[in-house]
Amino acid sequence: MPVKLVKNEDANSLLLERIMYTKRYTLFLDRSRCVGCELCELACPKEAIKIAKPSELKHLEEPPKRITASILEDKCNFCGICSEICIFGAFKQSINGKDFVPVLESESFPKVIHEVKVDESKCPPGCRICEEACPLHLINVKFSPEGKVIKVDVDKEHCPGCRICEIKCPYDAIHTRKIITGVISINTSLCPEGCRDCVDACPIPGVLFIADNGKVGINELFCVYCGACRKACPVNGAIDLRRVSIYHERVKSGAWNKALEKLTSTLDMSKELRSKSGLKAYDSVKRLHVRRL
Amino acid sequence: MSAESKPEDIRIGVFVCHCGLNIAGVVNVKEVTEWARTLPNVVFAIDNRYTCSDPGQEEIKDAIKKYDLNRVVVAACSPRMHEFTFRRTVAEAGLNPYLFEMANIREHCSWAHPSYPKEATEKAKEIIKMAVAKARLLTPLEPIKVPVTPAALVIGGGIAGINAALELAEMGFKVYLLERKESIGGHMAQLDKTFPTLDCSICIEGPKMVDVARHPNIEIISFADLMKVEGYIGNFTVKIRKNPRYVLEDKCTGCGECVPVCPIEYPNEWDMNLGVRKAISVPFPQAVPLIYRINRDYCIECYKCVDACGPRQAIDFNQKPEEIELKVGAIIVATGYDIYIPEDGNLYGYGKYANVITSLEFERLILAAGPTGGHVVRASDGKQPRSIAFIQCVGSRDVNKYPYCSNFCCMYTLKHTIQLKEHYGDDVDVYVFYMDLRSHFKGYEEFYQRAREMGVNFIRGRVSRIEEDPKTKNLIIYAEDTFLGEPITLEAEMVVLATAAVPSKGSEELARLLNIPRGTDGFFLESHPKLKPLDTPVDGIFLAGACQGPKDIPYSVAQGCGAASRAATILSKSYVTIEPIVSVIDPDKCRNTQVKCGICAMKCPYGAIKAEPGKPAVVIAAMCHGCGTCVAECPADAITQMHFTDAQILAQIDAALENNPEDKILGICCNWCAYAGADLAGTSRYEYPPNIRIVRVMCSGRVDRDFVLYAFKKGAGMVLIGACHPYDCHYIDGNLKMKVRMEALAKALEKLGLTPDRLRIEYVSAAEGIKFAQIVREMAAKLKELGRERIIAENEKLRPHLERMLSRKK
Repeated sequence: MPVKLVKNEDANSLLLERIMYTKRYTLFLDRSRCVGCELCELACPKEAIKIAKPSELKHLEEPPKRITASILEDKCNFCGICSEICIFGAFKQSINGKDFVPVLESESFPKVIHEVKVDESKCPPGCRICEEACPLHLINVKFSPEGKVIKVDVDKEHCPGCRICEIKCPYDAIHTRKIITGVISINTSLCPEGCRDCVDACPIPGVLFIADNGKVGINELFCVYCGACRKACPVNGAIDLRRVSIYHERVKSGAWNKALEKLTSTLDMSKELRSKSGLKAYDSVKRLHVRRL
Repeated sequence: MSAESKPEDIRIGVFVCHCGLNIAGVVNVKEVTEWARTLPNVVFAIDNRYTCSDPGQEEIKDAIKKYDLNRVVVAACSPRMHEFTFRRTVAEAGLNPYLFEMANIREHCSWAHPSYPKEATEKAKEIIKMAVAKARLLTPLEPIKVPVTPAALVIGGGIAGINAALELAEMGFKVYLLERKESIGGHMAQLDKTFPTLDCSICIEGPKMVDVARHPNIEIISFADLMKVEGYIGNFTVKIRKNPRYVLEDKCTGCGECVPVCPIEYPNEWDMNLGVRKAISVPFPQAVPLIYRINRDYCIECYKCVDACGPRQAIDFNQKPEEIELKVGAIIVATGYDIYIPEDGNLYGYGKYANVITSLEFERLILAAGPTGGHVVRASDGKQPRSIAFIQCVGSRDVNKYPYCSNFCCMYTLKHTIQLKEHYGDDVDVYVFYMDLRSHFKGYEEFYQRAREMGVNFIRGRVSRIEEDPKTKNLIIYAEDTFLGEPITLEAEMVVLATAAVPSKGSEELARLLNIPRGTDGFFLESHPKLKPLDTPVDGIFLAGACQGPKDIPYSVAQGCGAASRAATILSKSYVTIEPIVSVIDPDKCRNTQVKCGICAMKCPYGAIKAEPGKPAVVIAAMCHGCGTCVAECPADAITQMHFTDAQILAQIDAALENNPEDKILGICCNWCAYAGADLAGTSRYEYPPNIRIVRVMCSGRVDRDFVLYAFKKGAGMVLIGACHPYDCHYIDGNLKMKVRMEALAKALEKLGLTPDRLRIEYVSAAEGIKFAQIVREMAAKLKELGRERIIAENEKLRPHLERMLSRKK
């Protein structure tokens, strides 16, 4: 029986299905959450994802207005790596209607940790500063009838970890950790006159801005190092972005090493390998102690 | 030519066969025999009802002794049929077998011209005259003996190949069983039950597969492709590429611990894509050899399997394809069939409607170990269907797709219906739409009765179209019930299509590699449909199972064993003899001694000629296949092909064109394709005008420019050169060399004033009898259109040029 591959896409979503007699694999891309960064494209082991400019999606009735991910259906093998590496949570992988990421199940890919901790006891009544600060509207503060903060709901799955909420909170009640660390710089001498493509592409407001001198400025404090700016930049080499580490659960997987190498660099990947072997040595020494006792 | 100067008194005997009424019904055999007696050197001529019968052969032997015959001509059927028989007969009478010649007055005459008995009789006379002319120049030849490698290659590990391999191995021969897929087993391993006994298929095949794996004389080479085959009977050299599994054969224990840790699933082709398999897996649990394989198209290289494999260290991501070379004495082709998948979408909605499936898919559904655990469910909602319709002859017996009957579909559909009734009883209504139900072997008709008694509804009639109810996803079948004589509609919850069996993928390429022909249906062609069903025209290569045409399991098993026995007839000898129709180079005439020539060495398709500078070129007889391409190419006429010498062929042309040459078409046809195509035209009774005379050569590569020039000089009306299709040449590419040579000649002749249509080069395969007849019809019509006068005038004008061209080399 021919394997049915069905791709339905419009400006706001893409649904790829592999329909078989006994199983149905689904990969859903929420284009409203996709910022057109380069993480999934780099991490996909089958090169099944392409970050496409609106001009490359002309076949759609109503092409998206911004750069967004596109999936090549004949290459995708529904491993789920994209759904894990996307820090904005734009992908959703499921099998037979249930959310299921095969690579997480087998620990072939680590869980990328989205860490946001809130100590509601520190929140003053009626305060909504974090909710208002979140650029992606992922925070929802719940109050008791008396106006006391009882719960700060954070949609962690979709939080890229920009830390704006933490910096903006005057009461030290919210703590986050960056998922990706790195460095970014822009060689403004290469910028075309009047270009602000990177500024428009950046998903976190205020990270990139047009400074008083008319050049692009960077506020690296909130940068999530997603690389959307680099994808949008019309000049090759104007934006220098280097990721150093990705905050994740420990796994031992060649697929992760390869993805990490592409996302960061060979050097940074080997650093992680070294730290892992260090941890391994530590583990075995600890086991030895237990046995001695 | 040594034959011409032979002093001995040539005494020819001509034996004309009636072949019952096959020849005598059209040709006046008595008249022909009388006339043959008047030919020079013919000292004896007699007719016989069946020359090939025992008394007929005895008559030849007696005549040889009584009349001291030293050449024998039998005018009967095609030499492709009985040349060997009569060679043996004359050898038994003490005559060299190569002093025998055959005149084909059945396939090429009586069968092809039943409406023109008078012309056919005249043609028969001339065919005999040609044979006698050649016989006069025949020389005794000794067969060449070559040693045999006592090993066999079986291509294809289905049930036919498995049996062939086991039989040969049991006889004590080394067998290499080559399988393209990961596991042997073939289609039989995919089936649930077998008809008519309802045995579990893998339960009876599995042990055989294990026997193959365990047998010390069998080496399974699976997941490998055939790259190249060289050599000849008894001495084939085979190149095979083993594809990388990324799992080491000698280290994998088949434990399967790598499978659960693998995160990636992909559609399992072996399960007809109904189920999935992991990126590291075997296609099915009973696979033989049980070696896991990583599919790098899907693998994400997480190396979890490497961890799971642990100290066994069987996984090697750096494995490369490996080429191996084998030496074997015989080859058995058992590549089976494929199931036609009507993916075009317009055939009964397959691929478009979820609940229309093929029979092989149904087989995987009802199989307890299949992806649904043996539950027959619908793809659209996963529910058990309450009514199932089977449609027979989908693609087969259809002039637009595959005109032949696929042999086993009726029976497996009966099996499916009985299985359904056994599983679900009255919960399911079963309908079968059929054209004819063919249940023709032992126990099959009883099986059909059983299905009827179980309440299966049989509807005789073809289904015109199927529509899907968009809501329920049920299928509405529009058909004709020919018993009621009216159109009917039927709603079924599932439709199963019994699709055609088609030649397996790669048959075309394999045919090219082995130089074996295929029929119009694409299946491999046997040497003779009745008497040599397991042989191919290439000595030492045999066929078994469905690669020759769709066959069920017992038939395939029988053929596998039969092919093994055919191969053993070669392998059990220490020597085989090769026909001595090889090329011989006259060192005195060879130019290579004076100039750097080496054209023959360059043109030889088999590299059988060595031309070292300063020395005359030499033919390595055991490597020479006897195509004669070098003979035609030699600029010094220094090469002779034994049994097909220039003098012999020119004598045949002479004889053919002695009377009324301008009315005739002279055909020079290669033995394997065009001549066989002409045979088939006769066998199929395609009539064509009787003014063609055919000279047989082994390969069209043998067709010398001189033959064509000589024929026109003799006043021939037309010349036809018949060859194999471009890549089907039995001598690799002799036909292409002929093409280059003849196209240049045609251009030159055209410039000298020859009407272009008078020299035709045609590709006719052994299966294209109808094409051959059509070509002759066209040529005869053209000949008529041009008219005698014009042809005679043209020939007169050409003659001085032709004479100049013919004398140039002398």
